[in-house]
Amino acid sequence: MPLLEIRDLNISFRTSSSPIRVVNRLGFDIREAEVFGLVGESGCGKSLTALSIMGLLPDNSFSEGIVKFKDRDLLTLDKESMRRLRGKDISMIFQEPMTSLNPVLTIGYQIAEVVTTHEGLSKRDAIIKAVDLLKAVKIPAPEIRVKEYPHQMSGGMRQRVMIAMAIACNPSLLIADEPTTALDVTIQLQILNLLKRLRQERGMSLMLVTHDLGIISENADRVAIMYAGRLMELTDSVGIFSNPRHPYTIGLLKSIPGKKGVELKPIRGVVPRPDELPKGCKFSGRCDFVMPPCRTEEPELNYSSDGHLVRCFREKEIPKWRS
Amino acid sequence: MALLKVQSLKKYFDVKDPFSGGRKTLKAVNGIDFSIEEDSIFALVGESGCGKSTVARLVLRLMQPTSGKISFKDRDIFELKDESLREFRRSVQIVFQDPFASLNPRKTVYDAVSEPLKIHRIVEKQRMRERVSEILKTVGLDSDVLDRYPHEFSGGQRQRICIARALAVSPRLIVADEPLSALDVSIQAQILNLLRDIKEHSRVSFLFISHDLNVVHYFSDNVGVMYLGKIVEQAKTEELFERPLHPYTQILLASAPKIRVQTDKPRTPLYEPSAMGRRPNAELRTDIGEVPSPIDIPQGCPFHTRCPERFDPCDKIVPELSEPVSKGINSRLVSCHLWNPR
Repeated sequence: MPLLEIRDLNISFRTSSSPIRVVNRLGFDIREAEVFGLVGESGCGKSLTALSIMGLLPDNSFSEGIVKFKDRDLLTLDKESMRRLRGKDISMIFQEPMTSLNPVLTIGYQIAEVVTTHEGLSKRDAIIKAVDLLKAVKIPAPEIRVKEYPHQMSGGMRQRVMIAMAIACNPSLLIADEPTTALDVTIQLQILNLLKRLRQERGMSLMLVTHDLGIISENADRVAIMYAGRLMELTDSVGIFSNPRHPYTIGLLKSIPGKKGVELKPIRGVVPRPDELPKGCKFSGRCDFVMPPCRTEEPELNYSSDGHLVRCFREKEIPKWRS
Repeated sequence: MALLKVQSLKKYFDVKDPFSGGRKTLKAVNGIDFSIEEDSIFALVGESGCGKSTVARLVLRLMQPTSGKISFKDRDIFELKDESLREFRRSVQIVFQDPFASLNPRKTVYDAVSEPLKIHRIVEKQRMRERVSEILKTVGLDSDVLDRYPHEFSGGQRQRICIARALAVSPRLIVADEPLSALDVSIQAQILNLLRDIKEHSRVSFLFISHDLNVVHYFSDNVGVMYLGKIVEQAKTEELFERPLHPYTQILLASAPKIRVQTDKPRTPLYEPSAMGRRPNAELRTDIGEVPSPIDIPQGCPFHTRCPERFDPCDKIVPELSEPVSKGINSRLVSCHLWNPR
């Protein structure tokens, strides 16, 4: 049984007229102890999906569908139960660690708050635990650092503190939304390696939300590609790169600069606004393989012969065009 | 003759310690040398705070250096005046990182692109619209965008407008400071192709500043790797990526996440045995902690506090950027005691 099951998830924003749907009938599972990558460009709905799992959608938006975590539907859970679950069973880290930490409280206090809230530890024990957690995320001199404020730390260190808070109660699922986008490459690698090690030690599942396919290739077990609020392709992280089946996935891969002199073949056009999506396949306006039915009817997700879930009418013909 | 030549360039900033009130010196650029040939792309790579954007501003003469010299077409740019300064301003243009912040929201595309043409009196008034349309066409925009405002465009289109504005005055050098960083992957590739086309057709040179190693590898001819205000290694791009010598370059290249396809060879250790034959097959360590503050640059080699290969002289003597003592390595400069034993 998967740890997290998402079925027919819709996320919409309320507007003065009719609501605008930005995530449409999304469905995927996250298995026990796996790294699941959620990939897409800005505005594809990947962060909103993560927030809706946490029950943290902005006030002007709402979700429908099923988000089942360990047999409980998170979307129907009352506020209090959700509060108890959040930070304990599922926790999340964000892109910008500075804005996620309170600048006027010591980091020790902020980590301790998690364990006093969820595990009822005394203040004293909680601070001891905070020091242990700082050790676990490899912050040097944790006994001193525990008394420091966020501004005294670098971006990489702050992200480590966020990770310490997130793993404090041994969650079964950690959601990391662009955790290294604000960091330099050498620090990025250190943070990703830390996440990898913690995941192995603690047997957590990790949902890695990112736009960086290199990070996916090096870290994820399975990956879902999103476009315009839809799942376009889902498979393991080897298959997605060696044998991409959706034209959008292929377009993304061809956009990444590789060998010098090899011409880039970027996807043409731009991502349409969520209120101006084309009829039919949402990628049809930019697709190199588009044919008339693509513009009138939206394809369903189907399994390809090699086990990818793909939303494309012409999926069977793709391999011979790919080169 | 080099188009642009940078010699012993330094830029220090006075900063005030917010707590003690004491004055300190931030050494953003701490003595660098490089040159850009006609019709070529020189890239500066490095992590945040290494001084690469300060170099860009100095090259544009947007600020005065603490010491050192920058020559453009063999003339010191800080001594230019009047007509020669105007000529320099026309010849060197910039494209910034954030196309949302670098276009005036109250000016139409026509206003933005025609302004440099008016300032430099390049085109007669009657021909202005026609000329602006032509320029926009070279960056892939139709003339029906002329009277529209920046907010009507996506990030990629705005960056095209910024590029058009830079190209309008037919510059010899374009300084591009992270021009792709604010864009999505698919749009990045479109802009990268555009820059390449421009380079091929107009033979303009680029100072290309980026932290994205994939892009630098793909786009540039020569590359300088910066660390704490210094260039630690400089080479032809192909050669640098093929065989990085400086431990920092090695770690930087190894840290960048890469897409691996099944048919790829497993990641081979990047580690190169050095001139001194130290630790030939040792595995490369990438867990190297954090960058020191440019206010407290370490003594000796600035990288020694994080360097897995440091040895005797590293914390005492600053290595010079010079040709490595090793056979078979050409046109390369590296500042590391491993490669330049004293």
